[in-house]
Amino acid sequence: MDYYLGLIQIIGIHALLGWSAYILLLTGQLSLAQVGFFAIGAYVAGILTTMFSFHILPALFFGSVLAGMFALLVGFPALRVRGLMLVVATIAFTQFTSLFFFNVHWQKEINGVMVGPDSTQGFREIRFFAENGWSMLDVTLFIWFFVMVIMAIIWWIDQSRAGAVLRAVGEDELAAQSVGIDLTSTKVAAMTAGGVIAGLSGGLYAHAATYVDHLTFSIILATFAIAYPIIGGINNVFGTLAAVVMIQGCLVEGLRFLGDWRNLFFGVMIIIVMNLKPEGILDSSTSRKIHLLFKKSFSAKQYHSNESK
Amino acid sequence: MSDFMFEVIDVTQSIIDGVLFGSTYALIGIGFTLIFGVMQKLNMSYTAASLAGAYVGLGFFTLLNIAPVLVFSISIIASGFIGFVVYIFCFRFINVDNHLAALMASVGGLFFIDEIIIHATNASPLAFPSLFSDVILELGVFGFRGDLLFVFGTCIVSMMLLWLLLYRSSFGLATRAVSQQAIAAQLCGIDLHRTNAITFVVTGMLGGIAGVMIGAAVGILSPLLTVPFTVKGLIVTVMGGLGSIPGAIIAGFLVGALENVFLFFRGVDERDMYIMVLLFVFLVFRPHGIFSKQANRD
Repeated sequence: MDYYLGLIQIIGIHALLGWSAYILLLTGQLSLAQVGFFAIGAYVAGILTTMFSFHILPALFFGSVLAGMFALLVGFPALRVRGLMLVVATIAFTQFTSLFFFNVHWQKEINGVMVGPDSTQGFREIRFFAENGWSMLDVTLFIWFFVMVIMAIIWWIDQSRAGAVLRAVGEDELAAQSVGIDLTSTKVAAMTAGGVIAGLSGGLYAHAATYVDHLTFSIILATFAIAYPIIGGINNVFGTLAAVVMIQGCLVEGLRFLGDWRNLFFGVMIIIVMNLKPEGILDSSTSRKIHLLFKKSFSAKQYHSNESK
Repeated sequence: MSDFMFEVIDVTQSIIDGVLFGSTYALIGIGFTLIFGVMQKLNMSYTAASLAGAYVGLGFFTLLNIAPVLVFSISIIASGFIGFVVYIFCFRFINVDNHLAALMASVGGLFFIDEIIIHATNASPLAFPSLFSDVILELGVFGFRGDLLFVFGTCIVSMMLLWLLLYRSSFGLATRAVSQQAIAAQLCGIDLHRTNAITFVVTGMLGGIAGVMIGAAVGILSPLLTVPFTVKGLIVTVMGGLGSIPGAIIAGFLVGALENVFLFFRGVDERDMYIMVLLFVFLVFRPHGIFSKQANRD
């Protein structure tokens, strides 16, 4: 049972990471820096709960705020360049953060145990949940509470004017500019929002896993983070979740019987999906079909209830 | 001589080694830049394909024990073929305007190629044959490692061949036409897909040279080399300006040299951090690369 709860936690955390890339992808920017913000969130929240005995909520808050601030700082120089240049700039940022935490050594003794990041040895003993007697189920619910909140917020943003602005920038920068949208502030705002979500996700990850090191925050994870919204499609917020469930749930866990070979299928699957569904698995036509399906079954029910009267 | 003088000599020596080694970065960077110039797309699986080519050559070497020169040629041909396969599966059938899908598909290609290498070699590094590794050319107080000189020379020769191909052949004319205006080129009777495919094969072969040279310069081949060389290659591409071949060459030497300087002063743990900072400095002050021609291209 705990194994499946762990899987559900991972799905939640990866969904948050995917959404942090999703919100920037709406403006047409592809960022691999989300894992850098994820790392900042993880280390800051971890340091606060272990070394300064914070409660998890303020720790998560400060972790995501700091990640958001870094996103703001990185956003200005990085968003001067567009498209593919940004990919490279953000890869560099993720590499930089990873290397930075590789070199950080800052420990102190709490209750006879040395805690804190220990450069190459990683950051161990992030045991807030265990120390406070949270069960695996509690942790899962705690993570999914945030997942639901963030999903609702992004869904709401998508419906609102702000979402329209983000998408306008993503569709055609020139057209967006000509109706008076400030490109830079829109992109930097999206970057900051993405940074906050990634930081939150990182804080949750550090506490759920109790251990992080620089290898956690690799380019591979950054690639996963952008793969979710691209494979899921940026038509709506659920595509990312669907992609996370598909990749983490079905591919990584479901294909466990294939052993090491499943990574091979991962690459093949990305290639196949991108060739067949270049707009993502939940692209606008698929979403419409699902929508119609629900509508049909709903109206069929109505029809039956009318008939029985 | 004073300690300071020794320090100066040591730093200069590491810059020399760095520039020689940087030629491999330059080759990788040229590959990225060429494909970007022609298709406006980033081929993320490029370095993986290059190293895969070198692995194919290495496979022949271990099985048949052939001469290093033959190993190198086989690697280059294999890498050109892999480049073609990557084009077919990750670029050919994806809409020209859909940059994200092509990028993601090539990332899938990177994972796939990397995994094949890992499975074929059990993820252990393998020794790669190098030439002139026992030769050291001495010039005054400085020494030039023979294997690095060989790598450097090969890279320079292949760059010159590439220049001839691009500026003195009909294929080069077609490539340059497509990179300037794809639709206009098509109207002049240039087959877009054919040109793109040949570009992938040519860059693949160039990558094969880079892969072999990486193997010869590092002395081993390992799947762990893929990501660092991809990142360095991309950095070189950006510093040189996307689409600019001379920029990529200069940036390759620059990154190689600075990498060794940082290594000398700050150690291996922090070396790459400063390269990333350098990239950010470039993005802020020279976002369009060393030789910036077009102002508003992404």
